[in-house]
Amino acid sequence: MRSGLSAMADTGWPGCARSLKGVILDLCGVLYDSGEGDGVAIRGSIEAVRRLKESDLQLRFCTNETQATREKFVAKLQRLGFDICVSEVFPPAPAAVAVLKERGLRPHLLVHDGLLPEFDSVDKTSPNCVIVGDAAENFSYQNLNEAFRVLIGLEKPVLFSLGQGRYYKETDGLKLDVGVYMKALEYACDLKAEVIGKPSPTFFQTVLNDMGLQPHEALMIGDDLLNDVGGAQHCGMRGVQVRTGKYRPSDEKHPTVTADGTVDDLAQAVELILNQRRN
Amino acid sequence: MAGRRALKAVLIDLSGTLHIEDTAVPGAQEALSRLRQASVAVKFVTNTTKESRRNLLERLQRLNFDLQEKEIFTSLSAARSLLEQKQHRPLLLVEDGALEDFTGIDTSEPNAVVVGLAPDHFNYQTLNTAFRMILDGAPLIAIHKARYYKRKDGLALGPGPFVTGLEYATDRKATVVGKPEETFFAQALSDLGCSPSEAVMIGDDARDDVGGAQSAGMLGILVRTGKYRDGDEGKIDPPPHLTCDSFPDAVEHILQNLL
Repeated sequence: MRSGLSAMADTGWPGCARSLKGVILDLCGVLYDSGEGDGVAIRGSIEAVRRLKESDLQLRFCTNETQATREKFVAKLQRLGFDICVSEVFPPAPAAVAVLKERGLRPHLLVHDGLLPEFDSVDKTSPNCVIVGDAAENFSYQNLNEAFRVLIGLEKPVLFSLGQGRYYKETDGLKLDVGVYMKALEYACDLKAEVIGKPSPTFFQTVLNDMGLQPHEALMIGDDLLNDVGGAQHCGMRGVQVRTGKYRPSDEKHPTVTADGTVDDLAQAVELILNQRRN
Repeated sequence: MAGRRALKAVLIDLSGTLHIEDTAVPGAQEALSRLRQASVAVKFVTNTTKESRRNLLERLQRLNFDLQEKEIFTSLSAARSLLEQKQHRPLLLVEDGALEDFTGIDTSEPNAVVVGLAPDHFNYQTLNTAFRMILDGAPLIAIHKARYYKRKDGLALGPGPFVTGLEYATDRKATVVGKPEETFFAQALSDLGCSPSEAVMIGDDARDDVGGAQSAGMLGILVRTGKYRDGDEGKIDPPPHLTCDSFPDAVEHILQNLL
Protein backbone atom coordinates (compact mmCIF):
# COMPACT_ATOMS: atom_id res chain seq x y z
CA MET A 1 0.00 0.00 0.00
CA ARG A 2 1.25 3.47 -0.79
CA SER A 3 1.71 6.00 1.95
CA GLY A 4 0.06 9.30 1.21
CA LEU A 5 3.06 11.50 0.51
CA SER A 6 5.92 9.17 -0.18
CA ALA A 7 6.59 8.08 -3.76
CA MET A 8 8.60 5.06 -2.61
CA ALA A 9 6.06 2.53 -3.87
CA ASP A 10 5.89 3.97 -7.42
CA THR A 11 7.48 1.18 -9.36
CA GLY A 12 5.20 1.20 -12.37
CA TRP A 13 5.35 3.35 -15.49
CA PRO A 14 5.24 6.28 -15.72
CA GLY A 15 5.61 6.87 -11.97
CA CYS A 16 8.98 5.14 -11.95
CA ALA A 17 10.35 8.05 -13.98
CA ARG A 18 10.66 10.02 -10.75
CA SER A 19 13.50 7.89 -9.41
CA LEU A 20 15.34 7.48 -12.70
CA LYS A 21 18.87 8.72 -13.18
CA GLY A 22 19.44 7.70 -16.77
CA VAL A 23 17.72 6.87 -20.04
CA ILE A 24 19.05 4.60 -22.76
CA LEU A 25 17.62 4.98 -26.24
CA ASP A 26 17.58 2.60 -29.15
CA LEU A 27 18.28 4.38 -32.45
CA CYS A 28 16.57 2.77 -35.45
CA GLY A 29 12.81 2.80 -35.00
CA VAL A 30 12.99 5.28 -32.12
CA LEU A 31 14.95 8.24 -33.41
CA TYR A 32 14.62 7.50 -37.13
CA ASP A 33 13.49 5.00 -39.75
CA SER A 34 16.22 3.82 -42.10
CA GLY A 35 15.73 3.71 -45.86
CA GLU A 36 16.81 5.62 -48.93
CA GLY A 37 19.77 7.91 -48.23
CA ASP A 38 19.92 8.98 -44.61
CA GLY A 39 16.43 7.72 -43.80
CA VAL A 40 13.83 9.84 -42.07
CA ALA A 41 13.71 11.28 -38.54
CA ILE A 42 10.65 10.09 -36.64
CA ARG A 43 8.31 12.94 -35.84
CA GLY A 44 9.08 14.57 -32.52
CA SER A 45 12.25 12.58 -31.87
CA ILE A 46 14.80 15.35 -32.51
CA GLU A 47 13.03 17.59 -30.00
CA ALA A 48 12.64 14.69 -27.55
CA VAL A 49 16.39 14.00 -27.52
CA ARG A 50 17.08 17.70 -27.01
CA ARG A 51 14.68 17.79 -24.05
CA LEU A 52 16.35 14.77 -22.46
CA LYS A 53 19.77 16.34 -22.83
CA GLU A 54 18.57 19.52 -21.17
CA SER A 55 17.18 17.54 -18.23
CA ASP A 56 19.19 16.18 -15.31
CA LEU A 57 18.99 12.64 -16.68
CA GLN A 58 22.02 10.90 -18.15
CA LEU A 59 21.53 9.83 -21.74
CA ARG A 60 23.11 7.09 -23.85
CA PHE A 61 22.26 5.36 -27.12
CA CYS A 62 22.41 1.59 -27.33
CA THR A 63 22.06 0.20 -30.81
CA ASN A 64 22.53 -2.99 -32.80
CA GLU A 65 23.37 -0.91 -35.85
CA THR A 66 25.88 -2.87 -37.93
CA GLN A 67 25.55 -1.49 -41.44
CA ALA A 68 28.02 1.34 -40.85
CA THR A 69 30.80 2.46 -38.52
CA ARG A 70 29.99 4.55 -35.46
CA GLU A 71 31.45 7.68 -37.01
CA LYS A 72 29.38 7.25 -40.19
CA PHE A 73 25.99 6.62 -38.65
CA VAL A 74 26.41 9.27 -35.95
CA ALA A 75 27.26 11.75 -38.73
CA LYS A 76 24.07 10.65 -40.50
CA LEU A 77 22.00 11.24 -37.38
CA GLN A 78 23.59 14.66 -36.96
CA ARG A 79 22.65 15.48 -40.55
CA LEU A 80 19.07 14.52 -39.73
CA GLY A 81 19.20 17.09 -36.94
CA PHE A 82 19.94 15.00 -33.84
CA ASP A 83 22.18 16.23 -31.02
CA ILE A 84 24.31 13.11 -30.60
CA CYS A 85 28.00 12.26 -30.50
CA VAL A 86 30.11 9.12 -30.87
CA SER A 87 31.06 8.77 -27.22
CA GLU A 88 27.40 8.46 -26.24
CA VAL A 89 26.72 5.62 -28.67
CA PHE A 90 27.17 1.89 -27.99
CA PRO A 91 27.00 -0.39 -31.05
CA PRO A 92 28.15 -4.05 -31.27
CA ALA A 93 31.20 -3.87 -33.55
CA PRO A 94 33.63 -2.24 -31.08
CA ALA A 95 32.50 -4.70 -28.42
CA ALA A 96 33.16 -7.55 -30.87
CA VAL A 97 36.66 -6.28 -31.63
CA ALA A 98 37.40 -6.24 -27.91
CA VAL A 99 36.19 -9.84 -27.55
CA LEU A 100 38.34 -10.99 -30.49
CA LYS A 101 41.45 -9.43 -28.97
CA GLU A 102 40.66 -10.87 -25.52
CA ARG A 103 40.30 -14.39 -26.88
CA GLY A 104 42.90 -14.30 -29.64
CA LEU A 105 40.35 -14.96 -32.40
CA ARG A 106 40.63 -14.16 -36.11
CA PRO A 107 37.29 -13.62 -37.83
CA HIS A 108 35.71 -14.49 -41.15
CA LEU A 109 33.35 -11.55 -41.60
CA LEU A 110 29.83 -11.79 -43.02
CA VAL A 111 28.85 -8.18 -42.54
CA HIS A 112 27.72 -5.11 -44.44
CA ASP A 113 30.53 -3.50 -46.46
CA GLY A 114 30.02 -0.32 -44.45
CA LEU A 115 31.03 -2.06 -41.23
CA LEU A 116 34.40 -3.38 -42.47
CA PRO A 117 36.45 -0.37 -41.31
CA GLU A 118 35.57 -1.22 -37.68
CA PHE A 119 37.65 -4.37 -38.17
CA ASP A 120 40.67 -2.78 -39.88
CA SER A 121 42.92 -3.41 -36.89
CA VAL A 122 41.93 -7.06 -36.65
CA ASP A 123 43.93 -9.99 -38.08
CA LYS A 124 41.61 -11.77 -40.51
CA THR A 125 43.99 -14.39 -41.88
CA SER A 126 43.31 -18.10 -41.25
CA PRO A 127 39.98 -17.35 -39.58
CA ASN A 128 39.06 -19.40 -36.53
CA CYS A 129 35.62 -17.89 -36.01
CA VAL A 130 32.80 -16.24 -37.96
CA ILE A 131 31.14 -12.91 -37.22
CA VAL A 132 27.75 -12.24 -38.73
CA GLY A 133 26.18 -8.78 -38.74
CA ASP A 134 23.29 -7.09 -40.49
CA ALA A 135 24.68 -7.75 -43.94
CA ALA A 136 21.50 -7.04 -45.95
CA GLU A 137 22.31 -7.56 -49.65
CA ASN A 138 25.52 -9.34 -48.66
CA PHE A 139 23.36 -12.19 -47.38
CA SER A 140 23.70 -14.02 -50.67
CA TYR A 141 23.66 -17.81 -50.81
CA GLN A 142 27.30 -17.75 -51.82
CA ASN A 143 28.43 -15.59 -48.90
CA LEU A 144 26.45 -17.65 -46.43
CA ASN A 145 27.91 -20.81 -47.85
CA GLU A 146 31.40 -19.42 -47.41
CA ALA A 147 30.74 -18.62 -43.78
CA PHE A 148 29.21 -22.06 -43.30
CA ARG A 149 32.28 -23.74 -44.79
CA VAL A 150 34.60 -21.86 -42.44
CA LEU A 151 32.58 -23.03 -39.44
CA ILE A 152 32.11 -26.63 -40.54
CA GLY A 153 35.85 -26.88 -41.16
CA LEU A 154 36.83 -25.80 -37.63
CA GLU A 155 37.39 -28.27 -34.85
CA LYS A 156 35.99 -25.75 -32.37
CA PRO A 157 33.64 -23.57 -34.41
CA VAL A 158 32.77 -20.19 -32.88
CA LEU A 159 30.02 -18.01 -34.28
CA PHE A 160 29.41 -14.45 -33.09
CA SER A 161 26.21 -12.69 -34.02
CA LEU A 162 26.05 -8.92 -33.72
CA GLY A 163 22.57 -8.85 -32.27
CA GLN A 164 19.85 -11.43 -32.87
CA GLY A 165 16.99 -9.28 -34.23
CA ARG A 166 14.38 -10.92 -36.43
CA TYR A 167 13.57 -7.98 -38.65
CA TYR A 168 13.64 -4.20 -38.79
CA LYS A 169 11.64 -1.57 -40.54
CA GLU A 170 12.87 0.42 -43.47
CA THR A 171 10.85 3.03 -45.32
CA ASP A 172 9.86 0.40 -47.90
CA GLY A 173 8.79 -2.31 -45.47
CA LEU A 174 10.07 -4.92 -43.02
CA LYS A 175 13.38 -6.63 -43.74
CA LEU A 176 15.15 -9.69 -42.35
CA ASP A 177 17.71 -8.96 -39.65
CA VAL A 178 20.92 -10.68 -38.53
CA GLY A 179 19.16 -13.07 -36.11
CA VAL A 180 17.58 -14.92 -39.02
CA TYR A 181 20.96 -15.72 -40.53
CA MET A 182 22.43 -16.49 -37.12
CA LYS A 183 19.71 -19.14 -36.72
CA ALA A 184 20.38 -20.43 -40.22
CA LEU A 185 24.08 -21.00 -39.46
CA GLU A 186 23.32 -22.40 -36.00
CA TYR A 187 21.05 -24.96 -37.61
CA ALA A 188 23.45 -25.79 -40.42
CA CYS A 189 26.40 -26.33 -38.07
CA ASP A 190 24.54 -27.59 -35.02
CA LEU A 191 26.06 -24.97 -32.74
CA LYS A 192 24.95 -21.96 -30.68
CA ALA A 193 26.05 -18.46 -31.55
CA GLU A 194 27.34 -15.97 -29.00
CA VAL A 195 25.39 -12.74 -29.24
CA ILE A 196 27.30 -9.48 -29.02
CA GLY A 197 24.89 -6.57 -28.74
CA LYS A 198 21.33 -6.37 -27.44
CA PRO A 199 19.94 -8.34 -25.67
CA SER A 200 23.20 -9.67 -24.20
CA PRO A 201 23.38 -8.60 -20.53
CA THR A 202 27.12 -7.88 -20.87
CA PHE A 203 26.29 -5.37 -23.55
CA PHE A 204 23.77 -3.48 -21.45
CA GLN A 205 26.12 -3.62 -18.46
CA THR A 206 28.82 -1.84 -20.48
CA VAL A 207 26.44 1.06 -21.00
CA LEU A 208 25.37 1.13 -17.35
CA ASN A 209 29.02 1.10 -16.28
CA ASP A 210 29.72 4.03 -18.53
CA MET A 211 26.86 5.91 -16.87
CA GLY A 212 27.89 4.79 -13.38
CA LEU A 213 24.34 3.61 -12.70
CA GLN A 214 22.63 0.60 -11.20
CA PRO A 215 20.10 -1.13 -13.47
CA HIS A 216 17.08 0.03 -11.47
CA GLU A 217 18.14 3.63 -12.02
CA ALA A 218 17.89 3.34 -15.80
CA LEU A 219 15.14 3.06 -18.38
CA MET A 220 15.49 1.62 -21.90
CA ILE A 221 13.24 2.88 -24.68
CA GLY A 222 13.07 0.82 -27.88
CA ASP A 223 10.88 -0.51 -30.70
CA ASP A 224 12.00 -4.14 -30.42
CA LEU A 225 10.00 -5.86 -27.68
CA LEU A 226 12.33 -8.81 -27.21
CA ASN A 227 15.77 -7.31 -27.74
CA ASP A 228 15.29 -3.76 -26.38
CA VAL A 229 12.58 -4.10 -23.76
CA GLY A 230 12.99 -7.76 -22.79
CA GLY A 231 16.77 -7.51 -22.82
CA ALA A 232 16.73 -4.43 -20.58
CA GLN A 233 14.24 -5.95 -18.14
CA HIS A 234 16.36 -9.06 -17.92
CA CYS A 235 19.18 -6.87 -16.56
CA GLY A 236 16.98 -5.18 -14.00
CA MET A 237 16.18 -2.04 -15.96
CA ARG A 238 12.73 -0.90 -16.96
CA GLY A 239 11.79 -1.13 -20.61
CA VAL A 240 9.30 0.93 -22.56
CA GLN A 241 8.21 0.14 -26.11
CA VAL A 242 7.37 2.76 -28.74
CA ARG A 243 4.77 2.15 -31.40
CA THR A 244 7.11 3.29 -34.16
CA GLY A 245 9.70 1.30 -36.10
CA LYS A 246 9.23 -2.45 -36.07
CA TYR A 247 6.47 -2.40 -33.43
CA ARG A 248 3.46 -4.59 -34.24
CA PRO A 249 0.13 -4.58 -32.33
CA SER A 250 0.63 -8.23 -31.40
CA ASP A 251 3.65 -7.12 -29.31
CA GLU A 252 1.20 -5.85 -26.68
CA LYS A 253 -0.05 -9.40 -26.18
CA HIS A 254 3.29 -11.18 -26.13
CA PRO A 255 3.35 -14.42 -24.11
CA THR A 256 6.65 -13.79 -22.35
CA VAL A 257 7.59 -10.11 -22.46
CA THR A 258 5.40 -7.33 -21.09
CA ALA A 259 6.77 -3.83 -21.51
CA ASP A 260 6.66 -1.62 -18.43
CA GLY A 261 4.90 0.85 -20.68
CA THR A 262 3.89 1.31 -24.32
CA VAL A 263 3.84 4.77 -25.86
CA ASP A 264 3.10 6.13 -29.30
CA ASP A 265 6.60 7.44 -29.89
CA LEU A 266 9.71 8.81 -28.22
CA ALA A 267 8.18 12.28 -27.94
CA GLN A 268 5.34 10.91 -25.84
CA ALA A 269 7.71 8.89 -23.68
CA VAL A 270 9.84 11.94 -22.93
CA GLU A 271 6.75 14.07 -22.24
CA LEU A 272 5.57 11.51 -19.66
CA ILE A 273 9.02 11.18 -18.08
CA LEU A 274 9.60 14.91 -17.71
CA ASN A 275 6.05 15.48 -16.41
CA GLN A 276 6.66 12.95 -13.64
CA ARG A 277 9.89 14.65 -12.65
CA ARG A 278 8.38 18.13 -12.66
CA ASN A 279 5.96 17.35 -9.81
CA MET B 1 20.88 -62.28 -32.03
CA ALA B 2 17.24 -61.27 -32.56
CA GLY B 3 15.00 -63.44 -34.71
CA ARG B 4 14.94 -62.69 -38.41
CA ARG B 5 12.46 -60.10 -39.64
CA ALA B 6 10.34 -60.87 -42.66
CA LEU B 7 11.60 -58.09 -44.86
CA LYS B 8 9.23 -56.99 -47.59
CA ALA B 9 10.58 -53.66 -48.77
CA VAL B 10 13.83 -51.75 -49.13
CA LEU B 11 13.85 -47.98 -49.40
CA ILE B 12 16.98 -46.61 -51.00
CA ASP B 13 18.22 -43.04 -50.86
CA LEU B 14 19.64 -41.69 -54.13
CA SER B 15 22.14 -38.81 -53.87
CA GLY B 16 25.10 -39.90 -51.77
CA THR B 17 23.99 -43.52 -51.58
CA LEU B 18 23.60 -44.83 -55.13
CA HIS B 19 25.49 -42.00 -56.82
CA ILE B 20 27.32 -38.74 -56.20
CA GLU B 21 26.30 -36.19 -58.83
CA ASP B 22 27.06 -37.94 -62.14
CA THR B 23 29.14 -40.81 -60.79
CA ALA B 24 27.67 -44.08 -59.58
CA VAL B 25 28.92 -45.57 -56.28
CA PRO B 26 31.20 -48.44 -57.36
CA GLY B 27 29.35 -51.77 -57.55
CA ALA B 28 25.97 -50.21 -56.87
CA GLN B 29 24.30 -51.20 -60.14
CA GLU B 30 25.19 -54.83 -59.65
CA ALA B 31 24.16 -54.75 -55.99
CA LEU B 32 20.74 -53.38 -57.00
CA SER B 33 20.29 -56.24 -59.47
CA ARG B 34 21.09 -58.76 -56.76
CA LEU B 35 18.58 -57.12 -54.46
CA ARG B 36 15.87 -57.29 -57.12
CA GLN B 37 16.41 -61.04 -57.44
CA ALA B 38 15.27 -61.44 -53.83
CA SER B 39 11.56 -61.15 -53.20
CA VAL B 40 11.50 -57.61 -51.82
CA ALA B 41 9.90 -54.47 -53.18
CA VAL B 42 12.27 -51.60 -53.86
CA LYS B 43 11.58 -47.88 -53.75
CA PHE B 44 13.88 -44.96 -54.32
CA VAL B 45 13.15 -42.20 -51.88
CA THR B 46 14.80 -38.85 -52.04
CA ASN B 47 14.68 -35.32 -50.68
CA THR B 48 16.32 -34.09 -53.84
CA THR B 49 14.33 -31.01 -54.81
CA LYS B 50 16.33 -29.78 -57.74
CA GLU B 51 15.06 -32.36 -60.17
CA SER B 52 11.76 -33.81 -61.30
CA ARG B 53 11.15 -37.57 -61.17
CA ARG B 54 11.75 -37.76 -64.89
CA ASN B 55 15.15 -36.09 -64.57
CA LEU B 56 16.13 -38.42 -61.75
CA LEU B 57 15.07 -41.43 -63.75
CA GLU B 58 17.05 -40.34 -66.80
CA ARG B 59 20.21 -39.73 -64.81
CA LEU B 60 20.00 -43.07 -63.00
CA GLN B 61 19.38 -44.91 -66.25
CA ARG B 62 22.39 -43.16 -67.80
CA LEU B 63 24.40 -44.59 -64.90
CA ASN B 64 23.05 -48.05 -65.77
CA PHE B 65 20.68 -48.47 -62.85
CA ASP B 66 17.63 -50.57 -63.54
CA LEU B 67 14.47 -48.81 -62.25
CA GLN B 68 11.10 -47.34 -63.26
CA GLU B 69 9.70 -43.84 -62.70
CA LYS B 70 6.89 -45.11 -60.48
CA GLU B 71 9.47 -46.53 -58.06
CA ILE B 72 10.75 -43.03 -57.36
CA PHE B 73 9.14 -41.14 -54.48
CA THR B 74 10.39 -37.63 -53.82
CA SER B 75 9.61 -34.97 -51.29
CA LEU B 76 8.35 -32.90 -54.24
CA SER B 77 5.67 -35.57 -54.72
CA ALA B 78 4.83 -35.22 -51.05
CA ALA B 79 4.67 -31.39 -51.29
CA ARG B 80 2.43 -31.43 -54.33
CA SER B 81 -0.13 -33.65 -52.71
CA LEU B 82 -0.22 -31.37 -49.67
CA LEU B 83 -0.80 -28.30 -51.85
CA GLU B 84 -3.63 -30.05 -53.68
CA GLN B 85 -5.17 -31.18 -50.44
CA LYS B 86 -5.23 -27.68 -48.97
CA GLN B 87 -5.79 -25.85 -52.25
CA HIS B 88 -2.89 -23.47 -51.66
CA ARG B 89 -1.44 -21.26 -54.39
CA PRO B 90 2.31 -21.44 -53.80
CA LEU B 91 5.27 -19.14 -54.17
CA LEU B 92 7.63 -21.88 -55.30
CA LEU B 93 11.19 -21.39 -54.10
CA VAL B 94 12.39 -24.45 -55.94
CA GLU B 95 14.98 -25.02 -58.63
CA ASP B 96 13.75 -24.64 -62.23
CA GLY B 97 14.29 -28.33 -62.87
CA ALA B 98 11.79 -29.20 -60.14
CA LEU B 99 8.98 -26.96 -61.36
CA GLU B 100 7.85 -29.71 -63.74
CA ASP B 101 6.50 -31.72 -60.79
CA PHE B 102 4.17 -28.83 -59.98
CA THR B 103 2.59 -28.34 -63.39
CA GLY B 104 -1.10 -27.80 -63.08
CA ILE B 105 -0.86 -26.05 -59.70
CA ASP B 106 -2.13 -22.46 -59.75
CA THR B 107 0.67 -20.09 -58.70
CA SER B 108 -1.08 -16.77 -59.28
CA GLU B 109 -1.52 -14.47 -56.24
CA PRO B 110 0.35 -16.93 -54.04
CA ASN B 111 -0.90 -17.53 -50.52
CA ALA B 112 1.63 -20.13 -49.41
CA VAL B 113 5.41 -20.39 -49.50
CA VAL B 114 7.10 -23.61 -50.58
CA VAL B 115 10.82 -23.87 -49.89
CA GLY B 116 13.02 -26.46 -51.57
CA LEU B 117 16.70 -26.47 -52.39
CA ALA B 118 16.98 -23.34 -54.47
CA PRO B 119 20.27 -21.46 -54.10
CA ASP B 120 19.18 -19.01 -56.80
CA HIS B 121 16.16 -18.01 -54.72
CA PHE B 122 17.95 -17.80 -51.38
CA ASN B 123 18.99 -14.22 -51.93
CA TYR B 124 18.07 -11.37 -49.60
CA GLN B 125 15.33 -9.96 -51.81
CA THR B 126 13.42 -13.18 -52.40
CA LEU B 127 13.67 -14.27 -48.79
CA ASN B 128 12.29 -10.89 -47.73
CA THR B 129 9.31 -11.43 -50.04
CA ALA B 130 8.69 -14.87 -48.56
CA PHE B 131 9.13 -13.48 -45.03
CA ARG B 132 6.50 -10.78 -45.53
CA MET B 133 4.01 -13.27 -46.98
CA ILE B 134 4.44 -15.62 -44.02
CA LEU B 135 4.17 -12.77 -41.54
CA ASP B 136 0.87 -11.90 -43.19
CA GLY B 137 -0.43 -15.43 -42.68
CA ALA B 138 0.80 -17.55 -45.60
CA PRO B 139 1.71 -21.11 -44.51
CA LEU B 140 5.34 -22.12 -44.87
CA ILE B 141 5.88 -25.54 -46.43
CA ALA B 142 9.35 -27.01 -46.38
CA ILE B 143 10.07 -29.78 -48.82
CA HIS B 144 12.72 -30.88 -46.38
CA LYS B 145 15.08 -29.36 -43.82
CA ALA B 146 18.43 -30.85 -44.75
CA ARG B 147 21.28 -28.91 -43.16
CA TYR B 148 23.66 -29.34 -46.05
CA TYR B 149 24.52 -31.63 -48.94
CA LYS B 150 27.63 -32.64 -50.78
CA ARG B 151 28.49 -31.01 -54.08
CA LYS B 152 31.54 -31.70 -56.20
CA ASP B 153 33.14 -28.53 -54.81
CA GLY B 154 32.41 -29.29 -51.15
CA LEU B 155 29.57 -29.06 -48.67
CA ALA B 156 26.75 -26.64 -49.45
CA LEU B 157 23.84 -25.26 -47.40
CA GLY B 158 20.54 -27.09 -47.82
CA PRO B 159 17.08 -25.56 -47.39
CA GLY B 160 16.96 -26.36 -43.66
CA PRO B 161 18.93 -23.31 -42.53
CA PHE B 162 16.73 -20.96 -44.56
CA VAL B 163 13.51 -22.55 -43.36
CA THR B 164 14.77 -22.29 -39.78
CA GLY B 165 15.61 -18.63 -40.38
CA LEU B 166 12.12 -17.89 -41.73
CA GLU B 167 10.53 -19.73 -38.81
CA TYR B 168 12.54 -17.56 -36.42
CA ALA B 169 11.73 -14.36 -38.31
CA THR B 170 7.97 -15.02 -38.30
CA ASP B 171 7.57 -17.06 -35.12
CA ARG B 172 5.75 -19.73 -37.17
CA LYS B 173 6.49 -23.39 -37.75
CA ALA B 174 6.99 -24.85 -41.19
CA THR B 175 5.13 -27.97 -42.30
CA VAL B 176 7.88 -30.31 -43.40
CA VAL B 177 6.94 -32.91 -45.98
CA GLY B 178 10.27 -34.60 -46.69
CA LYS B 179 12.65 -36.88 -44.79
CA PRO B 180 12.91 -37.39 -41.85
CA GLU B 181 9.17 -36.82 -41.29
CA GLU B 182 7.30 -40.00 -40.45
CA THR B 183 4.54 -39.28 -42.98
CA PHE B 184 7.12 -39.25 -45.75
CA PHE B 185 8.18 -42.84 -45.01
CA ALA B 186 4.62 -43.97 -44.41
CA GLN B 187 3.53 -42.47 -47.73
CA ALA B 188 6.48 -44.07 -49.53
CA LEU B 189 5.48 -47.52 -48.25
CA SER B 190 1.72 -47.05 -48.67
CA ASP B 191 1.42 -48.62 -52.11
CA LEU B 192 3.83 -51.47 -51.28
CA GLY B 193 1.42 -53.17 -48.93
CA CYS B 194 3.81 -53.50 -46.02
CA SER B 195 4.24 -51.95 -42.60
CA PRO B 196 7.36 -50.03 -41.49
CA SER B 197 8.49 -53.00 -39.37
CA GLU B 198 8.80 -54.99 -42.59
CA ALA B 199 11.02 -52.42 -44.28
CA VAL B 200 14.61 -51.19 -44.19
CA MET B 201 16.05 -47.82 -45.30
CA ILE B 202 19.55 -47.37 -46.73
CA GLY B 203 21.05 -43.86 -46.77
CA ASP B 204 24.06 -41.58 -46.16
CA ASP B 205 22.35 -39.05 -43.87
CA ALA B 206 22.32 -40.31 -40.29
CA ARG B 207 19.55 -38.00 -39.11
CA ASP B 208 17.31 -37.66 -42.14
CA ASP B 209 17.62 -41.14 -43.70
CA VAL B 210 18.41 -43.55 -40.88
CA GLY B 211 17.08 -41.63 -37.88
CA GLY B 212 13.86 -40.72 -39.66
CA ALA B 213 13.26 -44.25 -40.92
CA GLN B 214 13.92 -45.80 -37.52
CA SER B 215 11.56 -43.32 -35.85
CA ALA B 216 8.94 -44.45 -38.33
CA GLY B 217 9.46 -48.07 -37.24
CA MET B 218 11.84 -49.25 -39.95
CA LEU B 219 15.40 -50.57 -39.72
CA GLY B 220 18.10 -48.16 -40.88
CA ILE B 221 21.43 -48.84 -42.59
CA LEU B 222 23.94 -45.97 -42.73
CA VAL B 223 26.47 -45.94 -45.57
CA ARG B 224 29.79 -44.14 -45.42
CA THR B 225 29.47 -42.41 -48.76
CA GLY B 226 28.11 -39.04 -49.83
CA LYS B 227 27.67 -36.59 -46.99
CA TYR B 228 28.63 -39.11 -44.30
CA ARG B 229 31.25 -37.78 -41.87
CA ASP B 230 33.17 -39.73 -39.22
CA GLY B 231 31.11 -40.22 -36.10
CA ASP B 232 27.71 -39.56 -37.69
CA GLU B 233 26.47 -42.93 -36.42
CA GLY B 234 26.85 -41.62 -32.88
CA LYS B 235 24.57 -38.68 -33.53
CA ILE B 236 21.30 -40.58 -33.53
CA ASP B 237 19.58 -42.56 -30.83
CA PRO B 238 19.04 -45.44 -31.26
CA PRO B 239 22.12 -45.90 -33.46
CA PRO B 240 21.78 -47.36 -36.96
CA HIS B 241 20.97 -51.04 -37.19
CA LEU B 242 24.13 -51.19 -39.29
CA THR B 243 26.82 -48.81 -40.49
CA CYS B 244 28.75 -50.03 -43.51
CA ASP B 245 31.05 -48.74 -46.22
CA SER B 246 28.62 -48.41 -49.12
CA PHE B 247 25.45 -49.59 -50.79
CA PRO B 248 26.81 -52.96 -52.02
CA ASP B 249 27.76 -53.83 -48.42
CA ALA B 250 24.28 -52.89 -47.25
CA VAL B 251 22.72 -55.14 -49.86
CA GLU B 252 25.03 -57.98 -48.86
CA HIS B 253 23.92 -57.60 -45.25
CA ILE B 254 20.26 -57.65 -46.22
CA LEU B 255 20.61 -60.72 -48.41
CA GLN B 256 22.50 -62.64 -45.74
CA ASN B 257 20.70 -61.53 -42.57
CA LEU B 258 17.29 -59.96 -43.11
CA LEU B 259 15.46 -62.17 -45.57
